[in-house]
Amino acid sequence: MNEFVETLLEMQWHEPKSSYDVVIIGGGGHGLATAYYLATKHGITNVAVIEANYIGSGNSGRNTTIIRANYGIPESVRFYQRSLELYAGLEDETGCWIMHATKGLLWMAHTETGMRAERARALINTACGAETHVVGPQEIKQICPQIDLTGSGRYPVLGASYHVGAATARHDRVVWAYAQGAMQRGVTVLQHTKVTGLLREGERVVGVETDRGPISAGVVMSAVGGNVTKIAAHAHVRLPVRTHALQAFVTNAYGLDFPGIISDSELSCYVSQTPRGQMLIGAEFEPQPSYSMQSTFNSLASCAKKISSCLPFLRELRVLRQWTGICDVSADFSPIMGFTGVDGFVISTGWGTWGFKGIPAGGQQMAELIATGTTPDLIAPFALDRFERDHSMADLGSAGTR
Amino acid sequence: MLWLNCPQCGSRPVEEFAFGGELPTVPDRITDPHERDIDYVWMFDNLEGVSTERWFHQAGCRRWHTVARDTIDDTLIT
Amino acid sequence: MLALDTLHGIRVVASPSALDAASWPDNTTVLRLAPDDVFVIGATIEHAAVIATADADAIIVAESGFVGCWLHNDALAEVATHIEWHIPTHRPAFAQGYVAGVPAKLWLTDDRALLLCASPYAHDLSERLKGSA
Repeated sequence: MNEFVETLLEMQWHEPKSSYDVVIIGGGGHGLATAYYLATKHGITNVAVIEANYIGSGNSGRNTTIIRANYGIPESVRFYQRSLELYAGLEDETGCWIMHATKGLLWMAHTETGMRAERARALINTACGAETHVVGPQEIKQICPQIDLTGSGRYPVLGASYHVGAATARHDRVVWAYAQGAMQRGVTVLQHTKVTGLLREGERVVGVETDRGPISAGVVMSAVGGNVTKIAAHAHVRLPVRTHALQAFVTNAYGLDFPGIISDSELSCYVSQTPRGQMLIGAEFEPQPSYSMQSTFNSLASCAKKISSCLPFLRELRVLRQWTGICDVSADFSPIMGFTGVDGFVISTGWGTWGFKGIPAGGQQMAELIATGTTPDLIAPFALDRFERDHSMADLGSAGTR
Repeated sequence: MLWLNCPQCGSRPVEEFAFGGELPTVPDRITDPHERDIDYVWMFDNLEGVSTERWFHQAGCRRWHTVARDTIDDTLIT
Repeated sequence: MLALDTLHGIRVVASPSALDAASWPDNTTVLRLAPDDVFVIGATIEHAAVIATADADAIIVAESGFVGCWLHNDALAEVATHIEWHIPTHRPAFAQGYVAGVPAKLWLTDDRALLLCASPYAHDLSERLKGSA
């Protein structure tokens, strides 16, 4: 039997109660991590996580599993560095094997402008606690011998930034580790339960309407991916978010070890090797907003063409699977966490294509926000009201490739 | 894959176009002029369904035109 | 390898009605890039005097920013394999869009076609159409 199925059978699945202290909409990494930290760090266990499908069925199970903190603005570097450190300790903390592996990440540049960005990235990262160096072509070749430094004669590699702490972890295992940890402490997880509306008293949100009946709550948190605009609209909260499709694919197994993670913002693609040896490749999100999970040949073809220009060995491999997730991309390409201006309703969204790496810190910080009723310093810059305060956290250069 | 109808050039694959965003709308319930400005600049309807948008035909006539597109399955309406 | 040569002419941006009413010498090629935008190969600024009268805000400048070459039937058929969209069947016809993934334009006459693109793309276009002409 599949070990996940075994775990599933051991876990305590409850019928919904009529009321909880905290109801979290969305049983992906962020929702479950928030429930986990509410239970473990703040002793709040009268919590329900409501998932429309099965846990991890959304973007938590569709991403390319990369964990890194090499962002372009200090606030983001600090936040993601916290997340990276929490990930590194997650196996010890939960007792669950998440297949965490520190690999290092090369972020390549092909132009002088690109190199300037990588130099700035290395300085900002290192100053904020995330070790990143600038490396030249020879060092790149030493780290990853498979790279064609001429970019097949078309995209010569000038250099890269090397982010030492970058890692990967198995995404389903992360979801299950948090779910198990939360449920062992009394958190209720309701799968296959759709939230159809929010219960309100005046402007205040006091619970959720579901297809299994109304559930009242002291605090409602939205941790959904892909449908946040509709959830927030129930509370009359408008969001600077558009939903875009993002595609990725894996090849058959590559016989040799592929070192580290390669990312390239000028070609907008990234690649790493799974523990099974498959090459896992992703690109940028589709330009137009869409709720369609249809994968497209054009996306596959353009991404394969770009990534194989620098890694010619990929041309010998075959594509096994291609898939699509729908991502809530914020207007400034940074997450949105915290209060919404509506009492009883908090939010963790705008995770676009950079949400997996933010799960532990996002969960930890949102749990603290819910438990204490105040915004922790680490996520204060990511509050929804930053847009009206004219303090947007624009960082497309770091989010552009995930 | 999505094809758009350029009124000048005809039906072309979406790669030839740049997405210019949905036509911004501000809900009537927002009445404060300053809040309306913030909503206009930052917030999106992000419709699941038929969205009215601006697209720029950058590989052809290099002109903007308005498109109705169904975001549920990413298909062209007009 | 395509021999893409600079095309000399004028570029006129004016009201669509002023462009509709204009007439051009017989030895010019008139490419209507958009309702308010025309590229006339072989014309000079003097030829657009009537437009300047019809539309006081018209922009009329010498244009040498496009390169192109004439293709005969076989070469055109080969180039057409690099085009995803429907090529007009009537003649003469003007069409614009990706050719081998490069923004390009086609002026199709009875017996041949002019393939053109903005000069910065000249190298890419001829590289991608190697063997087509």
